[in-house]
Amino acid sequence: MNLVSERLNVDDYEEAIELFYKRHWTDGLPVVLPTPRRVEALIEHVGRDPQESLGAIPPRGGEATLEKPAINAVMGGCQPEHFPVVLAAMEALLDPAHNLNGVSQTTHMCVSLIIVNGPIARELGFNSRDGVFGNGYRANAAVGRAVRLALWNLGGAFPWDTDKSTLSHPGEYAFCIAEEEEDNPWPPLHVERGCPPGSDAVTVFACEGPHSVFCYGTPEEMLHVLVDSLQALGSNNIHVLGQTLVTLNPLNAEEFAKRGWSKQDVRMYLWEHARRPLAEVRACGVIHEQFRKMERDAGRYPLRYDLENPTTRLPVTASPEDIHIIVAGGRSYFAAVLPGWGGFGGFAVTRPIRRPR
Amino acid sequence: MEFLSPVWPAAAAVRPPKKRLQGIQGARIALVDDNLDTAFTTHLEALLTERAGAKVRRLVKPSGTAPSPRELIEEAAAGTDAAVVGIGL
Repeated sequence: MNLVSERLNVDDYEEAIELFYKRHWTDGLPVVLPTPRRVEALIEHVGRDPQESLGAIPPRGGEATLEKPAINAVMGGCQPEHFPVVLAAMEALLDPAHNLNGVSQTTHMCVSLIIVNGPIARELGFNSRDGVFGNGYRANAAVGRAVRLALWNLGGAFPWDTDKSTLSHPGEYAFCIAEEEEDNPWPPLHVERGCPPGSDAVTVFACEGPHSVFCYGTPEEMLHVLVDSLQALGSNNIHVLGQTLVTLNPLNAEEFAKRGWSKQDVRMYLWEHARRPLAEVRACGVIHEQFRKMERDAGRYPLRYDLENPTTRLPVTASPEDIHIIVAGGRSYFAAVLPGWGGFGGFAVTRPIRRPR
Repeated sequence: MEFLSPVWPAAAAVRPPKKRLQGIQGARIALVDDNLDTAFTTHLEALLTERAGAKVRRLVKPSGTAPSPRELIEEAAAGTDAAVVGIGL
């Protein structure tokens, strides 16, 4: 196999691990050593040319020829069967609509979440149920970390340099979940976004960490708390729109469905009710106004909202479709809201997972 | 044991840096307004021109959160001695 990356030889295992720290090739955690045998196994599994490029990773522009994501995937703990998911996520991240350059360097604390859909999620053991945003599952952890390490080593946005995130969040290490599709009365995310039912896909969306929403009861009661959580003044969405993600647990979704609510019904209700008067939003300060102006000047803030009238009720997104809804987690009392970066980017992008032939 | 590097070798500098500005008086400066703080950019423009005597050409970047279009970079680089390429927030 034609691998062109520099080869290093270190006799001592501990010395080899330490070398990754010395050269800033790791995110702060130890890595699995990317031996040629392991790397070749990933590339052989997908049956693609190791020198095929997915594109340049911003901000530093390291070329993501398949060989490099494969090396980083091994470092993150991936097995060969995880690699198609990593590649689909990388392809989605590099779509200009996601604005990875901005996501990687913004002062905001968003990180690109990877959502896996389709039969492959169950086959590979991705967690979509209890503790879905947490630890304990190799597929979530390895795929999530593989992508983050590829961005680290090829994109080179470091927190002491061009990654200007004020606080960031733990998803910088790994931020990958699967949607629960079996215990779910509604069409899954990737099907809503145009993929065939039964297909495998990955969606990326740059967002904050999950904000807990104590969400249990009738549809009206659940919507009441979800609306309040979505329209928080501290989130970018209420100021500069963009997209947001609502994660309902399977019990929430079942309750909605039993009472005749489709996912689109829920989405429409949230979009119509998660609003705040301009006067309240303006009270947040001048800089928020400046951002709204920037977004309007860029054509991303709809003119139909009168920004001079203090009674105007501002929505959290420009359209209902910008509120993404998935089902995941345990059957319990809690949902989550994951606000986005705003109108600046990080938008959801979906890519099919190419299974090996 | 043998393993592979996860990074590409650092690119060699493709061209030497330009001579540093000796002063602002009379310098031709491109000022890229990245729309993040227009009032501050306007204030900076006034300081550069009125107080420091620079010749400022102000350019407007479509978005403060995405890279400048190549045309804008080329325009900022053409016929100027220095450029302020954005306001960080």
